Amino acid sequence: MTLEVIAFTLAGLLAAGGAVAVLFVREAMRLMIGLGSFLLGVAGLFLYFGLPFLATAQVFVYVGGVLVLMVFAVMVVHRQADDRPVMEVRHDVGAAAVALAVTVTIVACLRSVVGDALPTPGVYSGVLADELLGPKLLVFEMAGALLLTGLVAVLTIREGEDR
Amino acid sequence: MVALVLCASLFGAGLYVVMTRREIIGLLTGVEMMLGAANVQLVMLGAAVGGTGATIEAAGLMVLVVAAAEAAVGLALLLALYRRSGRSRTDELNEVNG
Repeated sequence: MTLEVIAFTLAGLLAAGGAVAVLFVREAMRLMIGLGSFLLGVAGLFLYFGLPFLATAQVFVYVGGVLVLMVFAVMVVHRQADDRPVMEVRHDVGAAAVALAVTVTIVACLRSVVGDALPTPGVYSGVLADELLGPKLLVFEMAGALLLTGLVAVLTIREGEDR
Repeated sequence: MVALVLCASLFGAGLYVVMTRREIIGLLTGVEMMLGAANVQLVMLGAAVGGTGATIEAAGLMVLVVAAAEAAVGLALLLALYRRSGRSRTDELNEVNG
């Protein structure tokens, strides 16, 4: 068993374990831990595919940013509850059938294209920076504009709340 | 093939979470899972069609930015809704029905 296979297996197990936890747990904080495990697993999969910058950004943006924000939201929303914050899960056969059908459809559609996707050769960050600030400058600026729009949207929602 | 099945299953799990959770936090968690799985699939597709590493990373970064903005706006809406009505479940918000 090569090192790549071990890395892929570990990342896959981490992501799948987190997904299973998100599916079944009822406590809000455990849900967040499951989501954190899933996101770290996804970062591991990015590393496996030879994309270290994307893996780092995933850890910083998601695990360090979005997840902390979600934990904060859980604390605010459940702050008046006396007991531990419990969330309701309504397992449904219909929902499971739809999710399974979507999964099978994705695999069937992409099987011939993806096949056995192999890791790409690792990219030096300088090459990525040249790409982003050169031919992909428009994409880079669009990403910045989108983040700014999100920030303005959040401020607008907050201001509307005060009125 | 194993990676494809794994990512598709993770996407399906996120979809199932969106369909079965009633709390808005749970819905956002499911959406984040779907976006994460879709991003890995995008990276796999990029590698399969012969894209360069920099191009694939630029595309993945764009999806990451979209997901982060979506989470920020979604959580802001949740907090505003909770402070306004004291509710955080989708089935309690029936006053917005047409």
